[in-house]
Amino acid sequence: MARPEEKDADLEQEGGRKKNSRRRACKFCTDENLSIDYKNAGLLKYFITDRGKLVPRRLTGNCAKHQRAIARAVSRARMIALMPFAVTGK
Amino acid sequence: MAEKRLGSCRDIPGRTREYETIFILKPDVTNDVIGQVNTKIRHVVEAGGGQLLKVENWGRRKLAYEVKKQLKGIYVFFNYLGNAGLVEEVERNLHLTDTVIRYYSVKADENVDAATKTSAVTDETFANASVPGPDEEAIATGQAGARPFGDEEEEGAFDFEEAVFGKVDEPIRRGS
Repeated sequence: MARPEEKDADLEQEGGRKKNSRRRACKFCTDENLSIDYKNAGLLKYFITDRGKLVPRRLTGNCAKHQRAIARAVSRARMIALMPFAVTGK
Repeated sequence: MAEKRLGSCRDIPGRTREYETIFILKPDVTNDVIGQVNTKIRHVVEAGGGQLLKVENWGRRKLAYEVKKQLKGIYVFFNYLGNAGLVEEVERNLHLTDTVIRYYSVKADENVDAATKTSAVTDETFANASVPGPDEEAIATGQAGARPFGDEEEEGAFDFEEAVFGKVDEPIRRGS
């Protein structure tokens, strides 16, 4: 999925560690058919870690507006036991 | 019935609000009991001046965590129009019902013109809502179709796993 020219830009950085310079576009801004709904646990599960915590938007590429909507939707889904509050591995 | 109380300042007179209420029933209840609870809630909504828009039964699902010693539950979804005070009354009735283990209400929209909304609830669809959908095992083994919500096949056209988690492993390790 990474574009070659951006990979080159990564490699050009001297010293230090490589930075992931690829800017992800917000999926919900680019795709109008996609809506955030607390009832749709199948979609929301991509925005929580395997521990049940929210994935930060620097990793998912969500914009601030849609990250807030995701956070709200996950909170609601947790209330009706569609999603876990925490996965303890018991 | 609840006292008619004042709503929010944002409310436009003559408009209503749209609410969604989901409640979870114990997994071992019979269809008759589900029908009774549904009918009770329907009466509460209609007596409170509301209008039912949609009633769905999502079937017997596994809960994400234990609720009142239950690991499975039957999800029932109500979508309705109403005014201030109606949700309180609905939730009060659900609270009094022993077979309901969890309920949750959300305001979906406000200042809705009731004339623009059409109700999808007929006697037939309402009766169907008392029959739980196929079990998760049946869906997993391909014996039954997918549910309206909660199954990733729904979003099959869009590969979120790759889009969101494509390169996520490395940054997580870096951050910790």
